[in-house]
Amino acid sequence: MKPVYIAGAGMTRFGRSEWPLMQLASVASLAALKHAKLGDIPVDGVVVANMGAARMNRQTALGSALVDQLALYPATAESVENGPASGASAVKVGFQAIASGMADVVLVTGVERMRVVNGLEGTDFVASLSHPVAEYIYGVTLPSLAGMFARMFMDRFGVERKHLAMVAIKNHANAAKNPYAHIQQTVTMEGILTLPEAVVNNPPIATPLHMFDCCPVSDGAASLVLVSEAVAAKLGGPKVRIAGMGQATDTHAVHEREDPTDLKSVRLAAAMAFDRAGLTPQDVDVAELHDAFTILEIAESEASGFFPQGEGHKALERGETQLDGTLPINPSGGLKAKGHPVGATGVAQLVELTWQLRGECDARQVKDAKVAYALNFGGFGNNVVASVLQREVS
Amino acid sequence: MIANVTGMKCNACGTVSYPKHMVCPKCRGERFTDVVIEGEGTVLTYTDVYALAIEYETRYLRLAIVELDGGVRVTGQLLADKPKLGMRVRTILGIVRQGGEGAIQGLQFVAV
Ligand SMILES: [Zn+2]
Repeated sequence: MKPVYIAGAGMTRFGRSEWPLMQLASVASLAALKHAKLGDIPVDGVVVANMGAARMNRQTALGSALVDQLALYPATAESVENGPASGASAVKVGFQAIASGMADVVLVTGVERMRVVNGLEGTDFVASLSHPVAEYIYGVTLPSLAGMFARMFMDRFGVERKHLAMVAIKNHANAAKNPYAHIQQTVTMEGILTLPEAVVNNPPIATPLHMFDCCPVSDGAASLVLVSEAVAAKLGGPKVRIAGMGQATDTHAVHEREDPTDLKSVRLAAAMAFDRAGLTPQDVDVAELHDAFTILEIAESEASGFFPQGEGHKALERGETQLDGTLPINPSGGLKAKGHPVGATGVAQLVELTWQLRGECDARQVKDAKVAYALNFGGFGNNVVASVLQREVS
Repeated sequence: MIANVTGMKCNACGTVSYPKHMVCPKCRGERFTDVVIEGEGTVLTYTDVYALAIEYETRYLRLAIVELDGGVRVTGQLLADKPKLGMRVRTILGIVRQGGEGAIQGLQFVAV
């Protein structure tokens, strides 16, 4: 495989947007293209990640639509739908195009516009990724799968609601330093857990998970410019390489997994990404994990190899995953507070890490970060993509 | 009459799978016999979910994963008032959702 570099990264602010779908995608793409300073080097291909435009925005073939918006013809164009892992899957498609030598410059843009539908419809749209016969018909939604996972995981490893709250407090504090975050408001342990008012402030969503354990519903787009070694050399500037990507699938119905508390697909995808990068979890300076639900940040931090099983919440409690800790997790605010426009999320994680590795994150900058890791969790763990990025020093 | 919920038993290796696949996850066999998914079991986990995708008559829905005696696991609706991890339940068939095409039947769990 030929090496693949990220030359530019851009995104829109996440949140509720009045912009139409393709405007979101275009604004993020133009930001990434400007960041890459491509000059007259042509874009060979465009890959768009999205999960629900066909249903929520009544638009399909988004890759072709983005080429048209940006007047990039005759660039190749694809759309990638892989549930909540659409973003990292699209990056993988771009990565493969350059690694194989088929392209030198690929624009990868993730976009979702989901606030346009009402809450029930939005929840039902995401729930449609569950098993149609064994889960969906029972009223299973993503929060309910997370709630059932959380209850088992917490019972087995002694994780308490205060640990979940610590994830939320940390990620909200990080998001408050991120101008692109959906929610830029800090929360406190008192406000969401210990004061009597917390019962009202933080109502149950899918017990034992409460509102502040769940990500918001967001609109937004994020974009990366991937380039070959030859183009990266021509551009100069900081060199961030996609050192390794890994992916793994698991059973569609969560109940069919041998151990439903084991995120096996995360373990396999992470191991594959680290192996291909020639690096280990101990080399990672900063990570973006898929905290659609607070419990997932803890579970993924273990399954990715950063902490032994059952130790993630203890590392969190010791402050190791804080912005100034030994392994900052979700400096962007994570899905929890930065927001979760489903198809954009996997791209946005890598946008944040690219900026981190280039030292462009201002108040939320992780000092001297050289190796970064992202985990994009699709389905409820039935399709997971892990990525390792590395800054090259010339 | 309410139709039973069925899984599949692999004719080659005897593994029972639920839900059904076109290929046996254990041995890749392609011939199966239907088996009725029912009986007593243990609650592995449950949740009261308020984030619903369609209107139900209740504010929340109580869902559970149950391991039936014999090892097959199922997701369904838990009708017990005081749910607990490890509690014993048995399956019944009931209406689990009002869909566009009318009532949808499936598995519910009641305490034994
Ligand atoms: Zn078999």
